Amino acid sequence: MAESNPAVAVKRSASAGLSAISAEAIEGLTELDELERVYQQLCDEEKQVESELEALISQQGNIETKMLALQRMGPNLQLIEGDATQLSGMITFTCSLAENVSSKVRQLDLAKNRLYQAIQRADDILDLKFCTDGVQTALRNEDYEQAAAHVHRYLSLDQSVIELSRQGGESSAVDASLALLQEAEQRLKALVKERLDQAIADGDLAQVERFFKIFPLLGLHDQGLARFAQYLCAQLAKKAEENLLLAVGGELGERRAALIFADTLTLLLEGIARIVETHQPIVETYYGPGRLYTLIKHLQVECDRQAEKVVDKFIQQRDYQNKFQIVQSSMMRSMSTEKIEPRELDPVLLEVTVMNSRAELYLRFLRRRITADFEVGDATAPKSTVQEHQQSLEKLLTHCLLSRNMQELIGYYIPMEEYYMRESVNKAVAMDTYEKGQLTSSMVDDCFYIVKKCISRALSSSSIDCLCAMINHATSVLESDFREVLYNKLRQGFPATTLQDIQRGVSSAVSLMQTSLQQGKFNTLGIESAEDAKASFLVTLNNVEVCSENIITLKKNLESDCSKLFSQGFGSGEQAQAKIDSCLSDLVSTSSKFKDLLQEGLTELNNTAIKPQVKPWISNFLSISHNIEEDEFNEYEANDPWVQQFIVNLEQLMAEFKAGLSPVIYDTLTSLMTSLISLEMEKTVLKCTFSRLGGLQFDKELRSLVTYLTTVTTWTIRDKFARLTQMATILNLERVTEILDYWGPNSGPLTWRLTPAEVRQVLALRIDFRSEDIKRLRL
Amino acid sequence: MQEMANGKMHFSAPVSKDRIISKFPKWYTPQACLQMKDHWHTRVKTACQDRTTRNVGMKMSKVVVVGDLYVGKTCLINRFCKDMFDRDYKATIGVDFEIERFELSGVPYSLQIWDTAGQEKFKCIASTYYRGAQVIIIVFDLADIRTLEHTRQWLQEAMRENDPGSCFIFLVGTKRDLLSSAECHRTERDAVKMASEMQAEFWSVSSKTGENVREFFFRVAALAFEGSMLRDLEGAGSHSHIGAGDLIRIDQGTAEEPKAKSVKKLSCC
Ligand SMILES: Nc1nc2c(ncn2[C@@H]2O[C@H](COP(=O)(O)OP(=O)(O)O)[C@@H](O)[C@H]2O)c(=O)[nH]1
Ligand SMILES: [Mg+2]
Repeated sequence: MAESNPAVAVKRSASAGLSAISAEAIEGLTELDELERVYQQLCDEEKQVESELEALISQQGNIETKMLALQRMGPNLQLIEGDATQLSGMITFTCSLAENVSSKVRQLDLAKNRLYQAIQRADDILDLKFCTDGVQTALRNEDYEQAAAHVHRYLSLDQSVIELSRQGGESSAVDASLALLQEAEQRLKALVKERLDQAIADGDLAQVERFFKIFPLLGLHDQGLARFAQYLCAQLAKKAEENLLLAVGGELGERRAALIFADTLTLLLEGIARIVETHQPIVETYYGPGRLYTLIKHLQVECDRQAEKVVDKFIQQRDYQNKFQIVQSSMMRSMSTEKIEPRELDPVLLEVTVMNSRAELYLRFLRRRITADFEVGDATAPKSTVQEHQQSLEKLLTHCLLSRNMQELIGYYIPMEEYYMRESVNKAVAMDTYEKGQLTSSMVDDCFYIVKKCISRALSSSSIDCLCAMINHATSVLESDFREVLYNKLRQGFPATTLQDIQRGVSSAVSLMQTSLQQGKFNTLGIESAEDAKASFLVTLNNVEVCSENIITLKKNLESDCSKLFSQGFGSGEQAQAKIDSCLSDLVSTSSKFKDLLQEGLTELNNTAIKPQVKPWISNFLSISHNIEEDEFNEYEANDPWVQQFIVNLEQLMAEFKAGLSPVIYDTLTSLMTSLISLEMEKTVLKCTFSRLGGLQFDKELRSLVTYLTTVTTWTIRDKFARLTQMATILNLERVTEILDYWGPNSGPLTWRLTPAEVRQVLALRIDFRSEDIKRLRL
Repeated sequence: MQEMANGKMHFSAPVSKDRIISKFPKWYTPQACLQMKDHWHTRVKTACQDRTTRNVGMKMSKVVVVGDLYVGKTCLINRFCKDMFDRDYKATIGVDFEIERFELSGVPYSLQIWDTAGQEKFKCIASTYYRGAQVIIIVFDLADIRTLEHTRQWLQEAMRENDPGSCFIFLVGTKRDLLSSAECHRTERDAVKMASEMQAEFWSVSSKTGENVREFFFRVAALAFEGSMLRDLEGAGSHSHIGAGDLIRIDQGTAEEPKAKSVKKLSCC
């Protein structure tokens, strides 16, 4: 479309006149070729110019129409211009008019405001008078609520207005009123305080509430709250002391006695919660929102005092500190004179977690209430106030003595719970028993029972840090201590079979003794009986597997327990979840360490118990000639020379493991075994020679073997035997070249696992195949 | 080395620009440092260029910060992780933790930093996190010489849960903004002595001004990263053996038996 491109057109005309070829150039031409070429070029150019011209001409009509339209528009434009000027004039006029009016409105507004202020002031002065009179009457009638309402009215008057009024004409009258009012205010304040104190001393709730409601009217919010709290605290203290006395007094049923301090603490905290519930409405109504914090701060002082008494008594009566010290010293030195039975710690550990969970519950209640109250109170407050309130709430909750006391109790609890866990696990290991016919021994169940119990107890404290600490301890106990126990058992190895023992006879027993003595220890297990050692090894493998499963289950259960805890609002810190996640992921990673151990154990079993047996059975294959003719083939048909016996042997060998191992482990073991068989078979087959019928025989044998192995494992055998099967296929060929029917493009769905070199090697096993034919083969 | 099994760690956003470490970070003082070299270990460098290394998922090391109450542990972590400094003191309760993500030589890497409470009553909580730490940071207050003396105790407690030589140890003096340069010089000399006794690397920082804080954590990240990479590279081959001959095993022709009865004690990590 270069024709319609004006840039090109311009360039062309500017650079070389009408044509790209100058007239001189044409004249200078002598050759015909040249001339023709130039002529052609000129013709092209001419065509181009013509089409350009045509395009331009075709546009002419269009342009003319447009021009006409433009010309017709001319007069209209002039009209529009006139209208616009007129409009602008009108707007200017309206504008100045509006400004004029609005300034007048402003003046009016000002006047109106002043008027209002004047009325307000008159009202205030009237009010002042009214209040003065009212307060006197009310006081005389002992109607303190009314009096307080008058004082409140006075206090909410604009003080500057009163000041102005005093300077004005009627100063003396106002002055007198003011003086009277102020005096009345002071009198009322003193009176109300006195009456409230009296009511508190009398323990008269109705009167307490009556005067408590008057305080905010006199602007005495904090004093009112403090006094009210004082009353509540007194009530609280009385009740708490009674309860504690009852608790230490005894005479309780066994069941209640075990948790008596936790119960006492619960009563205390529930009592405070009830007080807050009961009195929050009155505070909110008469003192406004945002004041609950102040009230609770006062109450918390008493709560702390009473809670500490309970905790002190608990420590004293339960011998808590002493128990802790014994535990600590026996953990530091494993040989300690004094030792506590883990079972003895059960009640005290439980009681501490209950106490802590009650405290957490209570603090959570306070947090919810105070936060909600602040939210209403601070709805319009600046951000800094909101933050300040949040911080003081945080400080109240985390630094109150109750919290600190609980932190200390938990601080002792964790090492004791750790001790409980370690000791109990050690015991479970020491008392490990296993009954014939069972797959696992008692210590696995016992150990996980203990670990679960300890973590659950920590969880029941509702303290996330406490729970995390115990999860960490559990991880350590499982991964180091318990795994070590299982590892050491596996390290004893799986003894060789009895048959071999008999074959070796006395000499092995002697060498066994020697090794034991050389290593400076003499393990009775070594001589006791090989049967026991075998069982022990298999049971340990099962144990290891169950451990790895149990850890995963434990983690899952803990996860759901924790999410329950979080959904109840515990551990509100944003970190709590992340901490738990991290600790749980450490825990669950130990599961794979048990899996590794299992794998190692199975490899060992395969190497020591299966390989030495299976290898000679496979070597027997060598003594069965596969270079056979019809007679022998039929003979083999009638009396199977090898594979049936091999299968029977395998069946016998594995029976012991099938009975002694869990299905999953047994399956893995058979998988190891089949790999071993296929590998050994391959090596063996390559050492044989085959006739055509020998190849067929081998094919039959292999089929029997694969069929058998398929029935004993859930793993796919075919894949493991793919190479052998392909070897059988090769050994079964009629002619060397027949391989080409299966090779390369003819392989169809078959994927060759043998390299060309290996194919040749297998072909060479056939005595009737000529090596020249094999060499000639293009693979 | 631990990989978060939990899926959350994997799909995270790219590492922020100021957490990319390409040049090997340097020590604070050659008198007390864990390594003198100024470049990545060649095997690690090669491994980093390998694409499979980059795709193994988020690697993470555990860092535990210990030291007396009030020496500035929390401030040190907050300065680095949140770039803020709070003048008001808030005692840490139990433990806190942060995850800081880095990219080292193109490989994503995280530090899981546990901030512990210095108070005695929280030790039972904090100490359960010592186990399996790759880095132990012992903090003291440069302006309070007693806190330096206590660092030995802290190290001992932290190492009780770990194999010797399995962790990188850092000794960090904080609040250097409070000291004149002469005072600082004197205390640092003592600290360097202490550090070399502990086989720790010494750093002197201020969380208030931020001086050396970033450099310090970069160094921590680099050494931890390199250490765990090397461990992974070596770790592949060395496995302990079960039943490598003990009491009951009856040798079948002693000649066949492998000589190396490597009964290596299984230890954590
Ligand atoms: N001047 C100064 N003060 C610091 C520095 N680091 C911490 N602090 C202050 O020391 C106090 C204790 O710090 P914190 O990190 O809470 O100590 P922690 O108990 O070890 O966690 C706080 O009041 C901080 O403001 C610092 O580098 N310089
Ligand atoms: Mg702190």
